[in-house]
Amino acid sequence: MRTRDGQLAIALACVVLGLMLAMQFRVQQNIRQTTLPNPRFEEVTQRLRETEQERDRFRAELNDVRGRLAEALSGQGAVEALRKEAAELRLVLGLTAVKGPGLVVTLDDSQTTARPGQGPEVFLIHDDDVLRVVNELRAAGAEAISINDQRLVAMSEIRCAGPTISINNTRTAPPIKIHVLGPPETMEAALKMRGGVIDTLTYWGIQVSIRREAELTVPAYTGSLKFIYGTLKEEVGP
Amino acid sequence: MWVALAGLAAGLAMGFSIPAVIPHAFARYLSIAVLAALDSVFGGLRASLEERFDNAVFVSGFFGNALLAAVLTLIGDRLGVELYYAALFALGYRLFQNLGAIRRYLLAGQSRKTSHS
Repeated sequence: MRTRDGQLAIALACVVLGLMLAMQFRVQQNIRQTTLPNPRFEEVTQRLRETEQERDRFRAELNDVRGRLAEALSGQGAVEALRKEAAELRLVLGLTAVKGPGLVVTLDDSQTTARPGQGPEVFLIHDDDVLRVVNELRAAGAEAISINDQRLVAMSEIRCAGPTISINNTRTAPPIKIHVLGPPETMEAALKMRGGVIDTLTYWGIQVSIRREAELTVPAYTGSLKFIYGTLKEEVGP
Repeated sequence: MWVALAGLAAGLAMGFSIPAVIPHAFARYLSIAVLAALDSVFGGLRASLEERFDNAVFVSGFFGNALLAAVLTLIGDRLGVELYYAALFALGYRLFQNLGAIRRYLLAGQSRKTSHS
């Protein structure tokens, strides 16, 4: 009688066990089917390859059209087109003052006094602090930036120069006033991002203020733009 | 023994015929619970062969071990400790012990039968 009870209980347990085994087996089967769809993978690869070929074709086409445009410009109305393009290039290069919406970011040294054992240099503005702010602004879509009236161009440096910071080979000292032209909301959000540039700077007590301007002017680059080492690799159109 | 196999077959049939499949996230817990259940069934078979089977012990062990193994895995996942392996090793070890005992018992019975006949 006792063993028959056992038989019944074991049989019931086996039913449950079989149920679980079957379930587990089917789940594993299901996982294998849904996570590694091999044909789909190949299909995507194929499509990527096609898209890349298409891109290369378009690139070649673009080059061709550019060449023809250059030819066309050498004829009628070439001077006017050249003048327009030159003006655009001067704008991009930073050779002209520009106006538009943007931010004025002011950075100043910390007012906190250093505790004993703490170096005073951590409370000063360094070149890399300014660099990080500029980098963040550019990432957020800044079009023109000037620091204490020094316009940043392609060859501008932001470098430590003793107690001052050297920009365009001109020394400048805090407070650092950055005029930046670009999307004000995006740039402000980028700077104020949690754990971002401003967070880090204010941790050390660096004073940061951001002011939105509907219309501000970024001055022109006043230094010389000379290429001594580089020459054009090949003759291109206008 | 045959009753156990019949039960297993019935359970498998039921499991394969149920249309719903449990979510993938639970697969890990089910797998360890399956191992615990397997261990309990072999333990029960062994006990019944040795004629010291206790219904309450068996049923509580069956569900309790399966649940404990699954919960242990869950806690391990939450704590970042692989408690999964604790259940895996303990149950695996016992599974082989139970199987060994059953095998020995069956072999002994076989030889006794043949010597008697």
